[in-house]
Amino acid sequence: MAVYKRTYKAYSGPLTPPASRFLVLQRYAFRSVFKSRLLLIGYLLCFVPMIFVLATLYVNQNATLLALVNQKAGFFKIDGNFFLNILGFQFVLAGFLTAFIAPTLVAPDLVNGALSLYLSRPFSRTEYILGKGAVIATLAGALTLVPGLLMFTIQSSLVGWNWMLDNFYLATATVLISGIVLSIFTLLGLAMSALVRWRIVAGALILAVFAIGKGFGAMINNVMRTNNGVYLDMQSLIQTVAQDLFHNTRPVDDIPVYGAWIALLAICGVLLLIINRKLRVCEVAG
Amino acid sequence: MTEPHIELEDLRVTLGKREILRGLNLQLRARTVGLLGPNGAGKSTLINTLLGFWKPTSGTARVMGFDVRTQARQIRALIGYMPENDCFIANMPAVSFVRLGAELSGLPAEQALERAHEALFYVGLGEARYRKMGAFSLGMKQMAKLAQAIVHGPKVLILDEPTNGLDPQARTRMIKLIQEMRDLGTMHIVVCSHLLRDIEEVCEEAVILKAGQIVHYSNLEAERASNRRFVEIETEGDDGTFADAIEMLGCVCSVTAGKIRTVLPEGIEIRDIYRLAAARDIQLRRLNYRRDSLEDIFLKAMDMKTPDIKKEVLSGRL
Repeated sequence: MAVYKRTYKAYSGPLTPPASRFLVLQRYAFRSVFKSRLLLIGYLLCFVPMIFVLATLYVNQNATLLALVNQKAGFFKIDGNFFLNILGFQFVLAGFLTAFIAPTLVAPDLVNGALSLYLSRPFSRTEYILGKGAVIATLAGALTLVPGLLMFTIQSSLVGWNWMLDNFYLATATVLISGIVLSIFTLLGLAMSALVRWRIVAGALILAVFAIGKGFGAMINNVMRTNNGVYLDMQSLIQTVAQDLFHNTRPVDDIPVYGAWIALLAICGVLLLIINRKLRVCEVAG
Repeated sequence: MTEPHIELEDLRVTLGKREILRGLNLQLRARTVGLLGPNGAGKSTLINTLLGFWKPTSGTARVMGFDVRTQARQIRALIGYMPENDCFIANMPAVSFVRLGAELSGLPAEQALERAHEALFYVGLGEARYRKMGAFSLGMKQMAKLAQAIVHGPKVLILDEPTNGLDPQARTRMIKLIQEMRDLGTMHIVVCSHLLRDIEEVCEEAVILKAGQIVHYSNLEAERASNRRFVEIETEGDDGTFADAIEMLGCVCSVTAGKIRTVLPEGIEIRDIYRLAAARDIQLRRLNYRRDSLEDIFLKAMDMKTPDIKKEVLSGRL
């Protein structure tokens, strides 16, 4: 370590490209998230079911094993339903992960007014949201999107080219459903931790929003004798969209798929508005 | 004449339905400028407008030639800002906090780390740089805020109440640091403070705001220089001719309540007054150089009513 002279010098060196500055925030956020060993262990455990599933895919197509039990077409069918169930479970894990990590990302910046220091630099609110949101999206995406695509790739390599072409909709569906669910989780996590600065409450609120929406929607349906309350139930909306994408015919609620898409996008918009409003208040110091 | 680092032209800012800044016109050129005013005068709004957080309703504001309305990002790259209120991340070590600030300003990670160490050493937090900021005292937090404000080498440094909550020793250290930075000449410093003594000690110019208007703009250096030429004398044994004798030296005098007030022209020094008194066998009981302190100026400005401000503006005195 150099011995620094106690004098001030102006900086005149090179600068990083402005477009990459949100990655700085992301890097610091990752470091702070994984400072907790408990969280790190919990996160790694979230991959265990997927490892089991990937092993099952291999076993399901293993000719020796199939011959042993005199089975020709595999133990179970790999179709939209299989993908839907596996991804559904992973999305639940991703939801819990979001409830754990999102409050640790935004709340500390708001509690002690650090946000005004970020935003008094050449760094915008959008970049802030992007930087923090990227952390949730990356971590949750590693639990959902990546394993989903991995399942598709492994199954394709095991079964063959024809299966891949016939079931390409599974890959598209995985990308689309992961995109919308991760967007909702990310924005919900940021919005709740911007609204409630107490970490535990913010975490609980992230999970509670699903139950509150479901309950409130059911109440509206009963009181108003309508089915429109389901638009407040995010879980039903996601299921409707997911079942359509994975060609699953099991009915969830009597709502059109396009209605579910619009409702989910509208929820994203509302969450974005909440985040923007809360951050706007905090960015102005003094 | 140097280019102004901050220019305001009929700057008006309305928040909600209330006009906070009412047509500010100003060109700041000095290395250190003090921004004074009572609560609600519009100081924070002016700072937030310069940082691009509030958009002007009308008029323009420019920092280093960049328009706050359209070039806020460029302006923020040139500004170092030390806010008045608490701004820190409690569970982050000071060095990481300052480094993060540097990186967000565009410094590459390695240089940012090096600069963070330098800045913390410079403000006197070298030994505490690995401690979490949540465990810092108020004075240490102030110093850490200063470190993050200067770490990227800003061209304009805005300090909002820099000595807030500091004990006398820490205050002296902070004032010394600001004076050092001023004397280095690499940045323009805007100090926003309620403490007139702080402004007097570090600033070359002072702007006094009241109710969203500039009620006084003075060059403190010129004020100090003119104060040095202004003398108030109390005598013993004067038969009333001492004032005439001083006028004979070329000074302009006025006598009120037995006190002679005079402005010494170039070439006349205090010792000439002493000589004159000795020659006339007059005792000088009191000789005071002081005319208007910043406190007097501030209090006078605060007494000024809004129509008086308008008159002053129209007459070009502000």
